Amino acid sequence: MAVYTSRRRSNAIWLSLCYASAAFGLGWLVIILATLLWRGAGGLSLAVFTQMTPPPDQSGGLLNAIAGSLIMTGLGVAIGTPLGVFAGTYMAEYGRHTKLTFVVRFINDILLSAPSIVIGLFVYEVMVTRMGHFSGIAGAVALAVIVVPVVVRTTEDMLLLVPAPLREAASALGLPRSTVIRKVAYRAARAGLITGVLLAVARVSGETAPLLFTALNNQFFSTDLNAPMASLPAIIFQFAMSPYKAWQSLAWSGALIITFAVLALSIFARVLGSKGSSR
Amino acid sequence: MTSGVTVKNELPTKIAVNNLQFFYGDQLALRNVNLPLYTNKVTALIGPSGCGKSTFLRVLNRMYDLYPHQRAEGEVLLDGRNILDPQQDLNLLRARVGMVFQKPTPFPMSIYDNIAFGIRLYEKLPKSELDGRVETALRGAGIWDEVQGKLHASGLSLSGGQQQRLCIARTVAIHPEVILFDEPCSALDPISTAKVEELIDELKENYTIAIVTHNMQQAARVSEYAAFMYLGELVEFATTTQLFTLPENPRTQNYITGRFG
Amino acid sequence: MTDSHTVRAYDAELEALGRKIAEMGGIAEKMLSDGMDALAGYDGDLARATIACDLRLDVLQREIEEQAIMTIARRQPLAADLREIVAAIRISGDLERVGDLAKNIAKRALKLSAETRMQRAIIGLKSMHETAAMLLKDVLDAYALRDADRARQVWTNDVELDALEDSVFRDLLTFMMEDPRNISFCAHLLFVSKNIERIGDHCTNIAETVVYLVSGEVLPMDRPKGPSPAADFQTSK
Repeated sequence: MAVYTSRRRSNAIWLSLCYASAAFGLGWLVIILATLLWRGAGGLSLAVFTQMTPPPDQSGGLLNAIAGSLIMTGLGVAIGTPLGVFAGTYMAEYGRHTKLTFVVRFINDILLSAPSIVIGLFVYEVMVTRMGHFSGIAGAVALAVIVVPVVVRTTEDMLLLVPAPLREAASALGLPRSTVIRKVAYRAARAGLITGVLLAVARVSGETAPLLFTALNNQFFSTDLNAPMASLPAIIFQFAMSPYKAWQSLAWSGALIITFAVLALSIFARVLGSKGSSR
Repeated sequence: MTSGVTVKNELPTKIAVNNLQFFYGDQLALRNVNLPLYTNKVTALIGPSGCGKSTFLRVLNRMYDLYPHQRAEGEVLLDGRNILDPQQDLNLLRARVGMVFQKPTPFPMSIYDNIAFGIRLYEKLPKSELDGRVETALRGAGIWDEVQGKLHASGLSLSGGQQQRLCIARTVAIHPEVILFDEPCSALDPISTAKVEELIDELKENYTIAIVTHNMQQAARVSEYAAFMYLGELVEFATTTQLFTLPENPRTQNYITGRFG
Repeated sequence: MTDSHTVRAYDAELEALGRKIAEMGGIAEKMLSDGMDALAGYDGDLARATIACDLRLDVLQREIEEQAIMTIARRQPLAADLREIVAAIRISGDLERVGDLAKNIAKRALKLSAETRMQRAIIGLKSMHETAAMLLKDVLDAYALRDADRARQVWTNDVELDALEDSVFRDLLTFMMEDPRNISFCAHLLFVSKNIERIGDHCTNIAETVVYLVSGEVLPMDRPKGPSPAADFQTSK
């Protein structure tokens, strides 16, 4: 009987430690979200979405930053996704057992965890110094470089999860390899692939450091990819550091927008992913 | 080691396997196998796990080619032509030698597309004709009545037994000459199993069939010829009746009467 | 039958079948010799005891059938096991018939105790009985030892019994023609000789089964047969 009592006691201790750790982690998230809501929600208005960033101590909005973020994120994902998907497909389908795949996977993992400021510096060196000025396109490229490893990883993982018998069954019908991959493997991995792209979007939409070195910032609305471009993270960084009350309030609103956009994307990706796996 | 081929009357042979050796890397998995598959007959391959019977089946449509470090030596003559020839067009071979797997593997698409998919690859048909081919294939696999009203539902929404018959329909739809069954019923309940067995019985009218099974009763029920394999060797090949009542080799006898290990 | 089954209960079931066949064989042998003793010794009590024995034989035969069916249903026997079970069913059927025939002889013995005795007429039957008993013993040994050669021997040796029956038939006919008062007695003996001859036939059936059991071989339909004028008089039991 004593054995049972002591077992029950140690079980209770472990369980409470686990609960406490989970609560600790979740607690910070709740505090962050609450602070954001508290400080950011007050400044939210239609003007935030329709007006340009104002000069110090004047009212305005974040339109140029939101637009810039959308453009550069969209472009970055558009460049990075196909590259990532193709690379991941090579690794999972064609070169599953080759040395190249092993090397690529290793390097990709390093890239995946590389500090984004390094990537910003790299693109600054490669593009900005050569072009002689900051530009939206350089920002998009920097984001693309961050997107690629994420998409490579999820693509490879998701394709590896496609059961071998399914691939064999398709091959057994006499389908060429490319058809097997496009019509069967991609289809079976579809939910996972989309989730990977969405996660990549979420990841890059909050990046600040690489954009500071590439797209810099712009006080005005611009869709010219050859010129500096505003972005939400950069604006938040600039405004939050400033001594002006109006700018600080806008920074909070921007932070709120970006956080909830990312949260929404993550939830969407999760829902898609779980739909995929429940089949 | 002599292979106990005891069938005397020579029938038309669809596939003749001569001196087949198979390697996984350096490991020899099939040792000097000689075995005929007679035209429009069902040949069952039995033997304990790891005896090489599935490996043997995967040589016949060169499924092993999907994986590196696997290779076959010897001769596999399909209508007299060696399919192990490196020049052999694999897609063409697999269109002629279809395969049904242990686990049902419907593609993640509608029931209709599961069937139409393979057909579209080989023939450009007008919609009405394609519809006809899909229906014929589903009828041929004895599943038409069950899926008739929901052709555009996902193939994955079917029960296991239905999925397996869908896979058979898919294989039949592209008009192969040989169908290989790799333990097609091991994941199915007895009624679904009976339906698949009935199907195999009908299919042999038009196809040459090889079936790998762990279930000896199933081998006895569906096949006309049977081969017992053990440790990568063909121990005995005979008519099913003979193999199951009067096996020549004591190892066959021990295996089929449950006296192994 | 070198190794044992992975499922040991299966072995036990097959062994039980073999044991029951052996028991049936023993009873059938005893019934045959008791029946003949009763006939030769006009022993009514022995005859009645022999008749009573038949019940046990019938019960055993049913048990064997039931067990065999159960084993087929549960174990789906193949190859040697399948032959073993088929053999058990067939042999038990033959032995049950041997018992019936021995019982018939005992019944005749009861009837004959009322007739005038004619020892001379029984001598031929005695040698028929000896031959039949030998066939029965040999074939049961062949089954117990799984000895196909011995079984084949029984299968060919049955000719002797047929030949003996032939000569007994002639003798009895002669006796009946000599003195019509013998007719009733000798007619009974004719039936007995027929019974013994049929026991021999069942022995050859068992011999065929043993050969099939051991080698899977099916013996040819036309067994060597002696000339049998008695065939013209063949009755159905």
